[in-house]
Amino acid sequence: MHIIVQTKNVSKVYQKNGGVPIYALRNISLSITEGEFIAIMGASGSGKSTLMNIAGCLDRPSEGEVIIDGQAAHTLDNEALARIRNQKIGFVFQSFNLLPNTTALENVELPLIYSDRNNISGLAKEALNKVGLADRLSHTPAELSGGQQQRVAIARALVNDPEIIFADEPTGNLDLRSSYEIMALFQELHEQGRTIVVVTHEPDIAEYATRVIKISDGNIQNDTSNNHIRKAQEDLKKLIETAEVK
Amino acid sequence: MKTARIIKSSFMGLGKNKLRSFLMMIGIVIGITAVTIVVSAGLGAQKKVMTRVKKFGLESLMVFAGGGRETGRPSSGQPVTTLKLSDAETIKSTIPAIAEVAPFNRQGGGMIKYKEKSSTAMIFGVTPTWAPVWSWYTEDGDFISDEDNSRMARVCVIAPTLQKELFGDANPIGEQIRIGNVLFQIKGIMEARGISPGGGDMDNRVYVPLSTYMRRIANVDYIAGIKIRLDDVEKMNEVVVDIQSILRERHVLAHDEPDDFRVITPKAVTEFAKKVTGTFNIFLVLVAGISLISGGFVITNIMLIAVTERRHEIGLRLAVGARSRDIRFQFLLETIAITFSGGVIGVLLGFFGAFILRLATAIPVLISWEGIVLGIVFSSLVGLISGIQPAKRASDLQPVDALRG
Ligand SMILES: Nc1ncnc2c1ncn2[C@@H]1O[C@H](COP(=O)(O)OP(=O)(O)OP(=O)(O)O)[C@@H](O)[C@H]1O
Ligand SMILES: [Mg+2]
Repeated sequence: MHIIVQTKNVSKVYQKNGGVPIYALRNISLSITEGEFIAIMGASGSGKSTLMNIAGCLDRPSEGEVIIDGQAAHTLDNEALARIRNQKIGFVFQSFNLLPNTTALENVELPLIYSDRNNISGLAKEALNKVGLADRLSHTPAELSGGQQQRVAIARALVNDPEIIFADEPTGNLDLRSSYEIMALFQELHEQGRTIVVVTHEPDIAEYATRVIKISDGNIQNDTSNNHIRKAQEDLKKLIETAEVK
Repeated sequence: MKTARIIKSSFMGLGKNKLRSFLMMIGIVIGITAVTIVVSAGLGAQKKVMTRVKKFGLESLMVFAGGGRETGRPSSGQPVTTLKLSDAETIKSTIPAIAEVAPFNRQGGGMIKYKEKSSTAMIFGVTPTWAPVWSWYTEDGDFISDEDNSRMARVCVIAPTLQKELFGDANPIGEQIRIGNVLFQIKGIMEARGISPGGGDMDNRVYVPLSTYMRRIANVDYIAGIKIRLDDVEKMNEVVVDIQSILRERHVLAHDEPDDFRVITPKAVTEFAKKVTGTFNIFLVLVAGISLISGGFVITNIMLIAVTERRHEIGLRLAVGARSRDIRFQFLLETIAITFSGGVIGVLLGFFGAFILRLATAIPVLISWEGIVLGIVFSSLVGLISGIQPAKRASDLQPVDALRG
């Protein structure tokens, strides 16, 4: 199978001038293969976001190698990394990070602005259609619910047809029902062949992934495949039914 | 295509923070308004001076009998009798840079009569060179000739105002008019010239041969002045010096005696006008400069705050593939767009102000494309300069740092 992201002995050290060095990551070696749905778990401060940022070319390792789609990303300049982020990677953030006072359509168009593609609004509409927001094109973030805003953010991550999507605690700011909806959307994308990495510290969210990597203090504590994948769509259905009974 | 999209995306951001955009514009609007008024008033004054100088002739200078100030009338009321026709001839024959000289005499308020009608006009005694030296020719008929001068002929050429007064629409050529007590036959009509630099009507005149004027009208042996046309304008200063030394020698003036003549050049006319408008311009240029510079500082600081406030936006743009130069371009463009808009408003207000100025004062004002170009170039330049630092700070942000917190 095709390896999309590979880290080799990646470390990240933060050192305030003169202070003790803090290791956010120590010697992480990891491969992410096409078609995987990975959950990265761990306590707060364990290094989940740091790992995701380095694997997604938002940040650089202090030591070690990062290979994206066969390219040695740690050797590339900022401009080449920007191109990789634009073409191969989609990000989803905990706090949605949509541009305020800007319509859903324009928010989804944003990555295309920096690409060489044509027909940007057509592609953006298509992406919004995929996340079920075809009827909310001209809504601004303030006019959308949290779950809808996160779906706009997912459409934005999808619009460049990336090799991999990284989501850092995508359900962290959402209620239970919206969380199920978002995870169901990720599962649906995964079934369509997308490679997805979700960072979370909620164990039940991790149950929707095919592989779970646990991080502790900058080390990989264990890396297992999930044999009992739950269906977010079913959990959502149950939640709605119990709500109706009440 | 890509650049166009980034530009469009930058402009979208502007409309979304109107108060900020407005605050950033104020200084520029004031500055450019002042710049526009300065330019309009400056060009107006310049144009006025240039039309004066053009009427006088750029390649011409004038020698007047009588010393005293550079411009204006001679200091004493007594006529100065030292300037002679032979002075003009000597000047012409000794200074090679001179193309032509036109000696003349004149008197104001001369009584002119045609049958029972009468009028007053300025009487000029001239030679044929008068016409080419002033580039001022007859509209109809002929000008005074050399033969007229040598014969001391009683012929004259009249100018349009006098023609209207005495003849209305009838053709006056061949008619006899009385200048003082002497009858003259009209042989030509001059082209209209309008108002003189001094405010007089240059068309209320009658021209007669200089010799006739001196003997039959004024009975004098001196002339009032010499209009001189040069071959080479570059030699103006040397010619002035030469004329001064020739005339001083011919008039036998001692070392400590002042000149008994004045030489007036177009430069003297221009410089006098420049002195007047200069003071006003310095004041407005100061206002413009100070408001543009302080406006620039305000813009830099507001944009620096904006960069901090919009860190997440910058981080997001970087995360989805913007390069740092795209970010730099965006912020620079936003700043320039704001100052440019301020510049456009300033130019409009400036034209309005210039218009008011023209109504309220005697200052001539010219609304011109120079004002528009200058206002827009200046305001964009202020945007460029004051936008550099914020744009650099924005583009120096690393994606993770921008996205955090
Ligand atoms: N810019 C930085 N400077 C110094 N230390 C940092 C910096 N960024 C991260 N760290 C440290 O690195 C470690 C890992 O941080 P990271 O954000 O990856 O944790 P996390 O697992 O994502 O935590 P959370 O669940 O709270 O988001 C933490 O100890 C954090 O304090
Ligand atoms: Mg984190």
